[in-house]
Amino acid sequence: MIPKSIAEEFDQCIKCGLCQATCPVFKDLLLEKFNPRGKIQLARYYSQGKLDLSDHYRDIFAKCLLCGACVVTCPSGVDLNKVFVSMREEITTKRGLHPKMEEVVRSLLVNHNISDEDNAERGGWRDFLKDLPEHMYQKDRAEVVYFVGCVASFFPMAQTIPQNLVRILESADVDFTILAGEEWCCGFPLIGAGVPEKAREMAEHNLAKVRELGAKKVVFSCPSCYRTWHEYYETDLELFHSTQLIERLIKDGAIRLGEVKATVTYHDPCDLGRNGGVYDAPRQILKSIPGITLVELENNRAQSVCCGGGGNLEMVDSGLTGTVAQNKIEEIKRTGAKTVVTSCQQCIRTIKGRARRQKADLTVYEITELVLQAISRG
Amino acid sequence: MISTSLMDEFRSIVGNEWFLDTPEDLATYSYDGFLPEFRPDAVIVPGKTDEISKIMGVANRERVNIIPRGAGTNISGTSVARKGGVIMAFHRMNKILEIDPENMCAVVQPGVVNADLQKEVARYGLMYPPDPASMYVSTIGGNVALNAGGPRGVKYGATKDYLLGLKVVLPSGDLIKTGGKTFKNVSGYDLTRLMCGSEGTLGIFTEITVRLVPLPPAKATLQAIYSDLDDAAKTVSAIIGSGIVPTTLELIDRVVLDVIRDYGGAEFSRKAEALLLIEVDGEEVSVLTQGERIEKFCREKGAIEVQRATSPDEAEKLWQARRSAFGAVASVRPSCVVEDATVPVKRLPDIIRKILELSDKYRVQIGILAHAGDGNLHPIFMTDLRDKEEMARIDKAMEEMYEAAISMGGTLSGEHGIGIAKDRFMPMEFTGTAIELMRRIKRVFDPNNILNPGSFL
Repeated sequence: MIPKSIAEEFDQCIKCGLCQATCPVFKDLLLEKFNPRGKIQLARYYSQGKLDLSDHYRDIFAKCLLCGACVVTCPSGVDLNKVFVSMREEITTKRGLHPKMEEVVRSLLVNHNISDEDNAERGGWRDFLKDLPEHMYQKDRAEVVYFVGCVASFFPMAQTIPQNLVRILESADVDFTILAGEEWCCGFPLIGAGVPEKAREMAEHNLAKVRELGAKKVVFSCPSCYRTWHEYYETDLELFHSTQLIERLIKDGAIRLGEVKATVTYHDPCDLGRNGGVYDAPRQILKSIPGITLVELENNRAQSVCCGGGGNLEMVDSGLTGTVAQNKIEEIKRTGAKTVVTSCQQCIRTIKGRARRQKADLTVYEITELVLQAISRG
Repeated sequence: MISTSLMDEFRSIVGNEWFLDTPEDLATYSYDGFLPEFRPDAVIVPGKTDEISKIMGVANRERVNIIPRGAGTNISGTSVARKGGVIMAFHRMNKILEIDPENMCAVVQPGVVNADLQKEVARYGLMYPPDPASMYVSTIGGNVALNAGGPRGVKYGATKDYLLGLKVVLPSGDLIKTGGKTFKNVSGYDLTRLMCGSEGTLGIFTEITVRLVPLPPAKATLQAIYSDLDDAAKTVSAIIGSGIVPTTLELIDRVVLDVIRDYGGAEFSRKAEALLLIEVDGEEVSVLTQGERIEKFCREKGAIEVQRATSPDEAEKLWQARRSAFGAVASVRPSCVVEDATVPVKRLPDIIRKILELSDKYRVQIGILAHAGDGNLHPIFMTDLRDKEEMARIDKAMEEMYEAAISMGGTLSGEHGIGIAKDRFMPMEFTGTAIELMRRIKRVFDPNNILNPGSFL
């Protein structure tokens, strides 16, 4: 059953179709069923009993980045994301998991992370750090917990992010700890796979672990973890994205930045910007680094176009993710900047991966990498 | 219903991927921006002219209805299968074939999105003037089929004023060419203009040649607020009477202003009864003088507040109220019906008063947005489709509104089209002889009545 609150959302849709202007998936797949308006129609038809859920339904709703571009475009204020997530849950409940999401869900339930590795390996990214402090960033008590997230913990391409961030926090004397093997997936991929009740188990575990450490603040380098904690974890802990914390440290004079000469553009990750409301912090950081010139993308801030890595889409249709990423790279190229900065490990993987395959002349930086460079020159 | 063998024949023309008949596909091509839904029998997505000719040949032979559809944003029910049949969607035919700056024109396929064309031609310092509110999604093919207008219409006119030529596949499958790249062309009947606004009933456009104009280097944007609607109307008359031709002259009435304020779209005085958004474009010097003169008119005619933007950011702020208007209104009730009555400019205050009167009489909530410079009104009826009793009252209010508009020398539709939304009102505007003439024209092109049947005729 589709809850009444969701039905109210799609009843508000006036079928104007303006959402197709900004949907990256529709722009590639072209058919109305992939248009957010079409998906709303299918949700409505299901809820009214006019159509039954089918594998086709599942495929249609899986081909969505949950990027929220349609949400900000909709003149009627329909929360399409809410409808799409709810439909994924309904489809999974009635017809089982999407075959291509089965593996990752199984791994999440067994290992509590999205890779197929033992969760005890979660702190493995530390192995490559020189001068590792004795506590190895794992303390019994700390003011701040750094929630690293699955991708940055396990995927080599993204492991530089925690490696950089801990160096930055150290240099600013922040009293922080990581949860290492006690950190479980935030639950975001489970929500995307249509099993939000499993995400709740993850939330409870993570909240309990943070409480045990007496921490008051949690910092995230992953925008999707940040968003999930905000939206689904009921907590009065102070939640920061790394860019917000770094911005504050710069303002307080705890970090000194030297010159890095570069013309860069900035890609707003969907879950940090549009879905998390954080647009200014990363831009302030870039402004604080002497020598950096920021050229905005055509579509920036709330209008930012997804890199293609959102909504579990890559698991279902990596080709489509590639096309969306290609469009992103074209947009980046049009700015004339040879460097793109972003603040999300998933965007890094998607954009960097695509740029490499295309042998594109493009440097892709996660913002902490640039900050650390500037610190080393400060 | 269409037989399996016929389905296979269509499928063989476009390929399996582009012939759709699953329940999910049919559900998502059963609507456009208007209210009623009709499930088509199938959807076909051709990739080239040659395929369209073949499809039409088969459809004509087998008497299968074909309903052309662009982005499905029209609000007159022009792209739904009212009598069943196959929706022909143009998503794939989305190429700009040529931009010809020397001849100031462009040749496009029907599925090109209006804003994409605008963006491309801007690189050449050119502009395609028609700017319907749906321009970020609506297609040039759809714009031609509905003769779309837009806020810039006061100065620049509508689609018909920029349409130079067409390639058209007729229901028989034959391809004809009308017009061309020349601005002047008086050979024979003007079939190009006949196609423009034909709402998918005469032929399928496969190539469209449009006229472009130089992109104006500067513009001035002003906003004036009035505590009396008549003062706003007097300002409109004063501006037009002065010889200034604004690109935009938008009016927002009190009902909509209140909704925008509640919605958090913009702030303005509680005394506000009307808001005018005025824009002029052209050379920098003349735009500056015109802006000053318009500001003077606004003040002289009793505006309680006038703002003139001095930067693009400020201009964007002034547009905010107008841009948030539709969303604000749409969020008030589950459904909204946007109407399109149009009157000679001078009768604007009269028709607005009439609409306010009808709103009271029939207890329906109506907000008014108007392209005041060309008398094109968009009364928005805020309602709930599921409430039959209220919808009946709205129908009565609409009927009286259109009677009033026509008695003032106006029309049923300024830019949205008739479709299935207003076909029942056609006899108000046309005599039986005129309607019969239109039907006969339709029969000449489409003797078997397979193209968008059940639309306005």
